[in-house]
Amino acid sequence: MSIEPRRAPRRGEPDPDLADVRAAQRDRAAFGALYRRYLDRVYGYCFYLLGDHHDAEDVTERTFVAALAAIDGYRDEGATFRAWLFRIAHNQLANALRSRQRQRAASLDTIPELPTHADPAGLFGLAEEARSLRRALGRLPDDRRQVVVLRFVDGLSAREIGAVLGRSEGAVRVLQHRALRQLAALLASGGPGSTV
Amino acid sequence: MTTRPTTAERLDRAVDAVLAGASAPGAAASAGLNPADRALVEAAATLRATLATSLVAPRFEARLGARLSGVGGTPWILRHPGRLIVTGAVGSAVGVGVTAYAVWRSRSTHRLLHR
Repeated sequence: MSIEPRRAPRRGEPDPDLADVRAAQRDRAAFGALYRRYLDRVYGYCFYLLGDHHDAEDVTERTFVAALAAIDGYRDEGATFRAWLFRIAHNQLANALRSRQRQRAASLDTIPELPTHADPAGLFGLAEEARSLRRALGRLPDDRRQVVVLRFVDGLSAREIGAVLGRSEGAVRVLQHRALRQLAALLASGGPGSTV
Repeated sequence: MTTRPTTAERLDRAVDAVLAGASAPGAAASAGLNPADRALVEAAATLRATLATSLVAPRFEARLGARLSGVGGTPWILRHPGRLIVTGAVGSAVGVGVTAYAVWRSRSTHRLLHR
């Protein structure tokens, strides 16, 4: 199943999640819509940073439980709901990484293979490409990897990523530029073992 | 005077276009990127195609969903206090009835034994 990244709202546009957030603030049962919308993305963020499914499940669970507990305190004051949610995920991730003293994702190769309903030849090429890309991703410094995952898995804008990571929009763009340059060089050199 | 966008800003625009479904060459050209930077947009398109895959186990999704509805929701009985009173009253009546029956049974057994 593919996650279609939700388009980031442009500057000045209302947060598309706001109606669901208001509903969840009135009735917690309405949080289910936000949970279903963001489970894949939060999980993807955790998994690509932790490199382990069990750890990713643990941090995802903590993130949603914390978000539900704090939903009444969310105010639409600049940051979108999803930037707020990913900020919670980011803090939970930082706690997990600190407590487990895990510096780098070591098992990104264990990501499940792509669905098998596509054509086999194209699928083989795509799976190979995905494997080498995941290895290359594992070679990025943490801050660049976070930007890549938040941008390409979660579909956040540079502004939203800045809100999540506590950096300026410009700094996020520079990190994205460096990450893509490093990834392109790793892929062009035929493997992530080379240094960039 | 307008300032020319930096390479990082132009690349970000191209990434926006790629995430919206544009082809890598088209996104790079419309963002005004140098040919040397177009490989970065190709890398962005590859990322979009390969990373955006759902990884969540259905069992985990169901379990967490159930936990969240438990955390956020009020137990059913507390949402209907009237029903709580009725349930309590019925429970008490049944308890009184069972006790009265037990007392009556023990007395009649006792009487039969001492007749």
